Amino acid sequence: MRPILDIADLDITIAGRSVVRDLSLTIAPGETVALIGESGSGKSMTAAAIMGLLPPGARIGDRARLRFDGELLAPQDEAAMRPLRGRAMSMVFQDPMSCLNPFMTVAGQVDEALRRLGGEAAAPRRARLIELLSMVELADPEMIARRYPHELSGGQQQRVMLAMALAARPRLLIADEPTSALDATVQAEILALLKSLQRAHGNALLFITHDLAAAAELAHRIVVMQAGRVVERGPTATILRDPSEDYTRRLVSTRRLLASPPPGSPPKPDTEPVLASVGLVHDYPAKRLFSRPFRSLHGVSLSIAPGETLGVLGESGSGKSTMARLAIGLARPTGGSVRLFGTEIAGLSRLDRSLRRRCQIIFQNPYGALNPRLTIEAAMREPLELLGLSGAGDRARITGALEDVRIGPEHLSRYPHQLSGGQRQRVCIARALLSEPELLICDEVVSALDATVQMQVVAMLKALQAKRGFAMMFVGHDIEIVRWVSDRIAVMHRGLIVEEGPATAIVEAPGEPYTRKLMASMPQRDLVVGVSPVGRDRLKHDPAVSPFANRWDSLSSLP
Amino acid sequence: MARVLAVLTSLLRGLLQAAFIVVLTFFLCRVMPGDVVDVLGLEGGLTEDQQQELRRNLGLDLPLPLQFANWVSQAATGDFGRSIRFDRPVGEMLATALPVTAHLAALSFCFGVGLALLLAVAATARPSRWLDGAIDAVNTWSIAVPTFCAGVAAILVFSIWLGWLPVIGGLLVPVLVIGTDNAGQIVKSLREELREAVMLPHVRTARAKGLSPWRIAFAHVLPAAMPIMLALSGLVLGGLVAGSLTMEVLFALPGLGSLTLNAIHGRDYPIILAAVTLIAVALVAINTIVDVLHRLIDPRLA
Repeated sequence: MRPILDIADLDITIAGRSVVRDLSLTIAPGETVALIGESGSGKSMTAAAIMGLLPPGARIGDRARLRFDGELLAPQDEAAMRPLRGRAMSMVFQDPMSCLNPFMTVAGQVDEALRRLGGEAAAPRRARLIELLSMVELADPEMIARRYPHELSGGQQQRVMLAMALAARPRLLIADEPTSALDATVQAEILALLKSLQRAHGNALLFITHDLAAAAELAHRIVVMQAGRVVERGPTATILRDPSEDYTRRLVSTRRLLASPPPGSPPKPDTEPVLASVGLVHDYPAKRLFSRPFRSLHGVSLSIAPGETLGVLGESGSGKSTMARLAIGLARPTGGSVRLFGTEIAGLSRLDRSLRRRCQIIFQNPYGALNPRLTIEAAMREPLELLGLSGAGDRARITGALEDVRIGPEHLSRYPHQLSGGQRQRVCIARALLSEPELLICDEVVSALDATVQMQVVAMLKALQAKRGFAMMFVGHDIEIVRWVSDRIAVMHRGLIVEEGPATAIVEAPGEPYTRKLMASMPQRDLVVGVSPVGRDRLKHDPAVSPFANRWDSLSSLP
Repeated sequence: MARVLAVLTSLLRGLLQAAFIVVLTFFLCRVMPGDVVDVLGLEGGLTEDQQQELRRNLGLDLPLPLQFANWVSQAATGDFGRSIRFDRPVGEMLATALPVTAHLAALSFCFGVGLALLLAVAATARPSRWLDGAIDAVNTWSIAVPTFCAGVAAILVFSIWLGWLPVIGGLLVPVLVIGTDNAGQIVKSLREELREAVMLPHVRTARAKGLSPWRIAFAHVLPAAMPIMLALSGLVLGGLVAGSLTMEVLFALPGLGSLTLNAIHGRDYPIILAAVTLIAVALVAINTIVDVLHRLIDPRLA
């Protein structure tokens, strides 16, 4: 059968720098191919090249041959590509919020895609529009059609994007990280939708992702990219079971770390908690005169014992980050009490130095958390000076702290932009630990990092905790990571803790319906990663369930 | 409902600002050394007694707050009094001056914003060094050359050397000078905004949908640049009221600017106050209109 897409020898350079090298790829009609790689591996550039949507300054090499259904493509020729886009091939993107036009209603935007197909009058177009919206499983399509993008949830927005992309019944759909900006439960829904839509329409799907589990769920074949090159390709099962390249092996096994318990001693729950909040309420002020304030926390009570790790799980908007900020006095609660090391801080406008020294926070985005104009050394020196800890041994302390996170002294004089994301987050950790805090708040510290780097950082954090014995509040949305890191887990939903308990119990035997839904959204993790002992046991005893069943023991022992 | 409320709130705030400006102007006029009677006295050689008499007749001997209260109560009924120097109703004088200024401002605004849009859109659609050079030139011109210098130069070139245009009364030259100045103030920001707008993710989506370049430009790129465009236009319109003052004097146009300037020289209080009130209210109106348009364009602001 003739492939719907046939790429040979694709090179892409941006400003002389090569981002994709010698890429060859074919997709058969109706087939799903997952293009997997970490950020900067060139996977999105490849997708953009196929659609002819490369950013200005990007050049495709002369040897490259891209064929669509046998026809030679000219991706650099806007006029030649335009008739194909939105007809024969279409694309959905990563962040649906910014990819939909904020000034136009859903109806207007989908209708644009329909009108472009030509020929139809307004009434049948309207009928087709409603049909498309119900096809992507949007409840009440009439109402959704009248709305503006900002009035929809992330999942609804991505469904609208899909409806738009499928308007012309394209033969090739390119999905560029379609779920990575969405919450876990929504991710699972969108993946399922992609799968069922493809089955119904028979279109080929190029699925670009960094999430191996998602790829495993959707793709017939996987192509692994690293630094602009294809390092491995093959049927999904083979790649997962028997990765031949070192990089793929690392990618496949990266989460195996989570299968063995982390180092560290159990906390001492009988002592006075380092952090105790009771009935914490928080309002965001009203945006306009006469409108009501937005209540982000509805009475949250939790406590953390010395040396203990409390995981806070929740989707975006559940109030978990607000909770983290209130816990160390970066924001003031509307009601309730927060006791930090026995001191009531709910009414304080700022913490005094001695309290501030004992609790530190690390944020999600290491790119924004370091001042781009300060060298690493200056950034590390700042907290010492602010907390009055500065002295003769500063430099030695800073080098030592960086040593702990395995960043050598040669980085001292560098600027943040010269470091990778993982290195930056490690600098943030080192900086937070300089003052030897007794409580460390980690607000989504690994969610902005690539999968393999995530594991490094989490493992490092846990090792440091075992050495230093600080307590931790670990806010996150990745169930497995939170479970691995935490002794106890609190699940937050709409400003409330819906369930709290020992980490294993929460993940394996969730009681509340919301927790159960959250746990169910883990995409085939037990197949790919094998973290859940329940899933693992099931597979071990029933080799028919999965071809990887007999590998669990050998995999769990990987470092 | 929330939209209407928000607009009303900003309108109310604007009116309060306008009222503050009027109060400030009233008292500042009186703080200036020399009043209208001194000026008339110097010009007409009035005796000390005649001057006292005149002050009493005009009510200038009353305490300032009382004078202000009198003015406000009359102004509230639409009566801005009579010009002291020309002895004509202020309303009538403003009515003859306003159309001249409005004409000048409207033409300059349209020319300026039109020129800026044209350059910015062209440079975004077909990036070239020439267009970027032109944008830089217009921008530098408006920063470096004050309108009154450009005005004098324009008179020299067009009327004296080339002998093309009537220097006095013609609107063409002042419109060119003010318009170019306005264009220079906004063209650079507009260009940058458009440069970013074409890179926006939703514009990429529009391209991925295979829409025509025209459709992309008008339905997806321009709306994204409109908020900035509006904010800049509001600034330019505000600046025009002040800018027209020098142009009207330079080209001897009998507009609001000339009228106000002469009134300030002659301490003709009723005219100063009426003109300032008019200008302040116009600025509030401009701001409110910009605000309303912004809300109409961007549904997220509702």
